[in-house]
Amino acid sequence: MKQRYDYLKAIAGDAGDALAVCTGWGAREWSAVRPSDGNLKTRTLGLVSSIAAGLALALPHRKVIAIDGDGAFLMNLCGLPTIALQNPGNLIHLLFDNEVYEASGGTATASHNSDAVMIAKGAGYRHATWVKTTEEFRAEFASAWNRNELTLIAAKIEPGQPKGLPPLRLDEIENKYRFMRYLESTEKKNILHPGFDSKL
Amino acid sequence: MDPSRRKTETLDAKAPAAAIVAGLKNAGIDFVATLPDEKMLELIRAVENDAALRHVPLCREEEGIGICAGAYLAGKKTAIIMQNAGFLNSCNALTTTSLQFQIPILMLIYYAGDIGDRGFATLGTVTEPVLQAMGFRTYVLRKKDEIDTTLRGAQILAEDSKRPVAVLLTKSVLGVA
Repeated sequence: MKQRYDYLKAIAGDAGDALAVCTGWGAREWSAVRPSDGNLKTRTLGLVSSIAAGLALALPHRKVIAIDGDGAFLMNLCGLPTIALQNPGNLIHLLFDNEVYEASGGTATASHNSDAVMIAKGAGYRHATWVKTTEEFRAEFASAWNRNELTLIAAKIEPGQPKGLPPLRLDEIENKYRFMRYLESTEKKNILHPGFDSKL
Repeated sequence: MDPSRRKTETLDAKAPAAAIVAGLKNAGIDFVATLPDEKMLELIRAVENDAALRHVPLCREEEGIGICAGAYLAGKKTAIIMQNAGFLNSCNALTTTSLQFQIPILMLIYYAGDIGDRGFATLGTVTEPVLQAMGFRTYVLRKKDEIDTTLRGAQILAEDSKRPVAVLLTKSVLGVA
């Protein structure tokens, strides 16, 4: 079985200027394989899919990738029917399931006894599928991208990550501002309120 | 309750619901997540029926804080309409997403257990202390003629402080018994 890093590396070159919302250690790995100010690391366990969905609804012409883990996914199950009801076709929801709370010390989650793909389908996701290899993952990612319909792609992975990945050098605030400035420049619109100089 | 009385209440609630939606739009809000309370049915219906507002009905309030945060990053002006129990449900997201990333959101919170409101005294008791503990500036809206100024002012505060701001909606302002 591969690690999350192997899967992320497989699609990094295909992700173009997609916005990526990450959680846990996956954030560092994704930034290593696809460095961009369009990457956001969330801090509320579970909300990665909801934050990505909010972005996807606000920018329907833009691809948004949620890089989710099983602990976070299970914490926000009620977020799935909400997302499916809105049905953002530009959202690609990736789930890397190592069956443990990896960032919190490695205790088992309930995911070895439940099926995320069935859960997503039951919640109303049009497309949800397990993949077993990085090649299959890359193909499913391309399909989701091209058909532009809400999709969950899930893979069972080995816990752990390669040694020596560069640490994320951003705190939340800098991450937010760089992300918003990146959106302003790529969307060619003013997003941040001018604040006290608001007469400009 | 006899049906005729219920009908009267519905009629009374329509004008305030329209005034609140107008206030939201005057404040620049264009993206609204909601989870119903019985007292806010007309308000949520008015949000749903307004083409200028993107309405996202929720299954649990905390995910709405996340959805609104994502929408804010992309330039939307966001509000969430929920009961105070839902505010309590949202406290982790409000702390580790809204406050930690400095993301504003206008919270319209139905004040269950407010003075004179039967059945929710426990919830009513903890509401304002928890809002204070989280450092959220809070306005209790009781008069219909203060809807517009309060909502516009609260949104200016939210944008400038880059924090959530709470407006507690009471039965008197919603026009419900």
